[in-house]
Amino acid sequence: MLADQYYLIAHEDRTGRSRLHPRATGLGLAAALLSELVLEGRIGVTDGDLFVIDQHPPRDALSHDILDLLCAQSQHRDVHTWLAFLAQDSALRVAERLIRVGAVEAITRRRMLGGTQTLYMPNTARQRNAAAWASTRIANMLVRGMELSVADRILVGIVVATGLTRHVMYGFEMYPHIYHALPSMIASLPDDLRELVECTESSVGSALAVGRR
Amino acid sequence: MSRGRHQRRRDNYEQWAGRVLMEQRRSTVAGPDLISSALARNRLGIPSVVFFGVAGAAPLTVVIGGISTVYAVISGSVAAPVVYLVVAAILSLFTVGFVAMSRHIVNSGAFYSYISQGFGRVLGVAAAFVALPAYSMMQIGLFGLFGVVTSSVLAGLGIQTSWVPCALVGWALVAVLGVLWVDLSGKVLGVLLALEIAVVVIYDSVMIGNPAGGSVSFTTLNPVQLLTPEVAAMLVLAIAGFVGFEATVVLSEEAKDPKQTIARATHISVIIAGLLLGISAWAMSVSTGPARIVAVAQQEKTNLVFALVGPHVPEILVSIGYVLFITSIFAALLAFHAAVARYQFSLGREGVLPSVWGYTHPRTGAPVVGSIAQSVLALGVIVLYSFINADPLVYLFAWLTTIGGLGVLILMWAASAAVIAFFFKNPGRENIWRSKVAPVLAFFMLSLVLDATVIGLGDILQVPVGSTFRWIFPVGYAVAAVLGMGWALIMRRTRPHAYAVIGRGGDGRALIELPEPARPHSHSVPVNSQMPSIR
Repeated sequence: MLADQYYLIAHEDRTGRSRLHPRATGLGLAAALLSELVLEGRIGVTDGDLFVIDQHPPRDALSHDILDLLCAQSQHRDVHTWLAFLAQDSALRVAERLIRVGAVEAITRRRMLGGTQTLYMPNTARQRNAAAWASTRIANMLVRGMELSVADRILVGIVVATGLTRHVMYGFEMYPHIYHALPSMIASLPDDLRELVECTESSVGSALAVGRR
Repeated sequence: MSRGRHQRRRDNYEQWAGRVLMEQRRSTVAGPDLISSALARNRLGIPSVVFFGVAGAAPLTVVIGGISTVYAVISGSVAAPVVYLVVAAILSLFTVGFVAMSRHIVNSGAFYSYISQGFGRVLGVAAAFVALPAYSMMQIGLFGLFGVVTSSVLAGLGIQTSWVPCALVGWALVAVLGVLWVDLSGKVLGVLLALEIAVVVIYDSVMIGNPAGGSVSFTTLNPVQLLTPEVAAMLVLAIAGFVGFEATVVLSEEAKDPKQTIARATHISVIIAGLLLGISAWAMSVSTGPARIVAVAQQEKTNLVFALVGPHVPEILVSIGYVLFITSIFAALLAFHAAVARYQFSLGREGVLPSVWGYTHPRTGAPVVGSIAQSVLALGVIVLYSFINADPLVYLFAWLTTIGGLGVLILMWAASAAVIAFFFKNPGRENIWRSKVAPVLAFFMLSLVLDATVIGLGDILQVPVGSTFRWIFPVGYAVAAVLGMGWALIMRRTRPHAYAVIGRGGDGRALIELPEPARPHSHSVPVNSQMPSIR
C-alpha cells in the first residue's frame, strides 16, 4: 500500500533510521495514509478541507481506524490539522502494518545510556530486497518514462513534497529530464490529491523552519 | 472502482443538506475533542515560549556588554535605566498589534511577511532586503564582543591571545552547530538562561546593597530626564538590547493555544527583559553614584559590572559571571545565526532568493545554505577586521550591533504600520484596542524613535561631524529597500506565480497553476457571464 511504500523509501534499510527529519517523515506518512483513503473513494479534499464521502469501512485496519476518527471528529476539517495529528504516530502505526505483512521486523536495541530503542527494519535478505525495491521501482519507471498509476504518482508527489527526491534519484543524476517532469506529474494528479501534496509540502516547510523535534 | 470520482462528488453534493444537519447535531453534542487534546500534548506552553523569547534577547549579554556601552557612549546623560523601561513599554505596545496580526497570517515568523500582507508584496520584498543585512550584522557584531571577552578571560588565566583566534574558535563552533541545527529550545539553554538571570539578580542586589556614599539614589530613574536630547540616541541602543524577543511568533504553530500562548509569552518576555535591563542599569548607577557612572563606564567598558561587584562578592561568583557571560554571548550568537538562516530559508522557499536557499538537510532539517552563507560572511568580516586592526569592541561589536539595531528598528516601525494597514483592510477581526489604538500608538512612538536615531546616529557611532559614516547607514538601508522593490517588480514580470505567494511561507503554492475550472450554471455569478461560452 501507499504508506508502506513511503515508509520503506523514507527509512534506511540497514539501520532502520529515518532518512528525513522525523517530523517530515511523520507528515509524509500521514499524507500517504490520507491518500489511501482518497484512492479508496472514502474521503475528498477541497480548499484545504477534508470531507468524508463514504463511511463504509475500508479493508485495511489502519485505514478503517483513521476513517472512523475522521467521522467521529468531524468538527476538524483542516488538512493541516489532520496531517499534524496523524504525523504524531504515523511511523509507528505504518510500521505495525508492515510487520503484519512481514516486510519489517521489530528490533529492540539497548542504548548506551540506559533505556531501549525499538526500530522497525527489514531484517532478512528478502525483506531488504523488497525495501530497496520500493525506491528503485519508482526511479526505474521515471527514468524509462513509463506511465505511472495514480497511486505511484501520489507517492512521487509525497516524496517530492517531503524532500526525498534526491534519495530516490540517487544514481540517476545523469537523467536531469526527470526533475523537470516531476512538477507536471504532480500537477496531473486529481485535484484532491494534488491539494494534499501541496498541504504536505507547506506543513513540512513550517515544521522544519521551527527546527523542533 | 465502480463509480468515477466526479460521480462520487456529485453524490456528495446531493447529500449536502443531510451533512449540514448531522454536523449541527454533532456540534450540539460536543463529544471529546481527541484531535485538539492530542495535538496540544506535544506543544509548547507559555514558559517554553518565554524561555525562547528571553533567550533570544540574551539578557546577560545586554546587561554586561550593552548597558556599559550605553553609559560609556552617550556621555551627556545618565537616563539609561528609565530609557530601558520606556523602550520595554513601547515594545509592549508594539507587541499588542504584532501578535494580534500574527494570528491571522501564515508564515508569521518573519517581519517581511507582515509587511507584504499589510502593504503588498513589493514593500514586503523591500523589507526582506533590509532584514537580512540587519540581523546578519547583529550576529557578526557579537563575534567582536565574544572574541574580546574570551581573550580577556584567558588573559586572567595567564594565556595571552588576541581577540581574533578566540572569535574564530567561537565562529567555528557556531558554524558547526548551525549546520547541525541544534535544537535551540533545548534544556541546556534553559538551564543557562536560568543561571544567567540568577546571576543578574544577585549582582543587582549586591550593587544596590553597596551604594556609593551609603545612600541609594533614584536620580537615574527620574522620568524628567526623558526630555534631554541625548535620550533619543539611547533609544536605538536600548532597542538593540531587546532584539530577539520577536522570535516568539515563529513558534505560533507550535503553541498549545495559538490565540493566547504566544501573545502572553511575548508580553512576558518583553516585560522580563525590560525589568532586568532597567533595574540592572539603575543598580550600576547606584553602585557608582549617578555622577560617576559615565566616567567609570568609559574606563572599565564591558568589565563595568564585574569591577563594581568584585569587591563585595566572593571571587568564585565573579568567575561564574565571566563564564556565564561567555556562554550567554555564545547562545545569542547561535540564536541570531539560526534566525538569519531561517530568514534565508523562508525567502528561498518562496523564490525571493534562489531556490537552493530553500533546501534543507534531509535528516536534520537544517537550512544548510543559509547557515553556510552566514558563516562565510561572518568569517570574512572577522578576517577583514583582524587585517585592518580596528578596535573590535567599538568598530565590530558596537558599530555592527547598532547599525543592525537600526535595521531591526526600521523593520519594527514598518511592521507596526503594516499592522494598522492589515486591520484597516480586514476589519472586525480583533477588538479596537488590538487592531487600532495600540498599533497607532506604537507606530507614533517608533516613528519618533526612528527619527531621533537617524538624526543622532553619528553621535552614537562617535564619528566626527562631516564624516560619511554619519549618513551612509540609513542611506544604505534605503538603497537595500529600493533594490528589494526592484527585485519584486522583476519577479512580478518574470515569475508571476512565485511573486503571487510572497509572504505566505510557501503555503498554497500551486506547483503548476491550472485555470480555474468552469462552475456549473446553478452557481454562476455575474463574473462568469463575461467569460466566452464554451460552445
